[in-house]
Amino acid sequence: MQIADLVTPERVACSAKISSKKRAFELLAELLAKNQQGLSQAEIMDSLLARERLGSTGLGHGVAIPHGRSKKLSRAIGAFVQLEKGIDFDAIDNQPVDLLFVLLVPEQCTDEHLQVLASLAEMLGDDLMRDKLHAAKSCEELCGLMGASVAQAPGIDAPRAPHA
Amino acid sequence: MKIIILGAGQVGSSVAANLVSEANDITVIDTDMECLQNLQDRLDLRTICGQASHPEVLKSAGAEDADMILAVTNSDETNMVACQIAHVLFHTPTKIARVRSTEYLNFPQLFKEGAFPVNVLISPDQAVTDYIQRLIEYPGALQVLDFAHGKVRLVAVRVHYGGLLLGRELRALREHMPGIQTRVAAIFRRDKPIIPEGNTVIEVDDEVFFIAAKKDIRAVMGELRRLDQPFKRIMIAGGGNIGKRLAKALENDYQVKVIEHNPQRARLLSEELKKATVLLGDATDEDLLKEENIEATDVFCALTNDDEDNILSGMLAKRLGARKVMALINRSAYVDLVESGTIDIAISPHQAMIGSLLAHVRRGDVAVVHSLRRGAAEAIEAIAHGDRKSSKVVGRAIQDIKLPPGTNIGAIVRHDEVLIAHHDTVIEAEDHVILFLVDRSRIRDVERLFQVSATFL
Repeated sequence: MQIADLVTPERVACSAKISSKKRAFELLAELLAKNQQGLSQAEIMDSLLARERLGSTGLGHGVAIPHGRSKKLSRAIGAFVQLEKGIDFDAIDNQPVDLLFVLLVPEQCTDEHLQVLASLAEMLGDDLMRDKLHAAKSCEELCGLMGASVAQAPGIDAPRAPHA
Repeated sequence: MKIIILGAGQVGSSVAANLVSEANDITVIDTDMECLQNLQDRLDLRTICGQASHPEVLKSAGAEDADMILAVTNSDETNMVACQIAHVLFHTPTKIARVRSTEYLNFPQLFKEGAFPVNVLISPDQAVTDYIQRLIEYPGALQVLDFAHGKVRLVAVRVHYGGLLLGRELRALREHMPGIQTRVAAIFRRDKPIIPEGNTVIEVDDEVFFIAAKKDIRAVMGELRRLDQPFKRIMIAGGGNIGKRLAKALENDYQVKVIEHNPQRARLLSEELKKATVLLGDATDEDLLKEENIEATDVFCALTNDDEDNILSGMLAKRLGARKVMALINRSAYVDLVESGTIDIAISPHQAMIGSLLAHVRRGDVAVVHSLRRGAAEAIEAIAHGDRKSSKVVGRAIQDIKLPPGTNIGAIVRHDEVLIAHHDTVIEAEDHVILFLVDRSRIRDVERLFQVSATFL
């Protein structure tokens, strides 16, 4: 599974005007709920918030990777949001967060999902990549960057899960 | 955390004061401008004047950004509707409501999924009743607090002459009571905390907090003070919500008398209570108290809604010979004043209940919070998640966990088993860990410790 496979252009938001952590989760859940039959925004938001409560997913350097699990999902989905202005996210370095990559995986999480999460953290931990994501001006550009990152970031090309 | 508090009454304002000190962003809504002004003068928060359940009012209070709403107006209906509105219009993640009326509480399905979207129901009356009931269960205890659904308790006692452990080192506790596991979490000597070590010597008048499994509490108390006779006769002054609940909870196991001055209320009480005796009269009436054998009363509980009445009737009862006197006191300034005097235990309703709110404000998976010593100290039950890599506590022995100063781990509940903490106890995932913080300002460090890393799935 590749990071580029997780997001579609419709699940990317560029320069979103969001003023709080709560609204960021609303937006992320809304994006993830697009074209997902039987999976509501509210359910997704609950799942993401339940995980967030165990510890902030703020990685530092303005990046966060909220994630959760859902019984109604057969394969992992993702969404990406670039904020116009950083929000307080209780991140490890206490810096405001303005880049969020959200990941929702099936209830039975596998090593593959853990690996996806690790590669995400790795991709967003890269200074150069973050600068590019910050500078991007459109959803297409953001999508393109994530697609391109696959070639650079090693260890993402894990075998597909049997149920995917 | 962004929190909107609905209602600036007794509960709302004390909760606001408690939360504002922890870098929370608080907005209070009430219809009483004067109340709000008063709050704003004292505390760093925002206020909105208006009807708390109205969508526009909630919106102007910042409901779109709020992480939590706390509906504690004096109307159950307003509180419930406000939660519904916050849920539908603003997707507010955490909704807490005070619901007092048993008319609603008797139907738990009202608050199930798909009905009123209230995540947490709080009932201060019930919290106070439980609190007093536990104190009556353990004569001599200053405080009895539950963890892990009552499997483990934290008990505060004042050390008296006659305690077997008096003048000896703490480590003697284990030799004295083979087979009984306990841990002293903190000692307050002349109001200053002492971090207990094996060689700490217990002195008279020390306030000792110990943690033990429920079944072992009496035995441990006996080490610290001569065991008091169990209580038998209870007199309750004031048959309001709390007085009635307490009488109901106690009447089967104790001899209970309730004094109520309102004839109508007294009649209602006598109909509802099966065994307790209801007396029509004034609890500050010396003759009535004498007539009703106050000198043979084990516990006198002054539970009217008037602080001054409770203090006075409590003092009177004590002078007339009641063994132990507890008084319900709302104003926090009075609480300190009273406990240094004749009244044995001052019960502050908001202290009894604030913990259930704090459990939802704490970061990390925190199941229970008890605020102690008027908010200066805190005891929490946190759940450890993850593995050695994603957690800072799982897979580590207690001695290797970097606890902030003044903090210690008292016990662990693993599945259904209570483990009293030792330096070499290794924390496992999903353990419920019970910690004591003598200094609440360290709470952030403890929260951090129990949070999983960002990549924990």
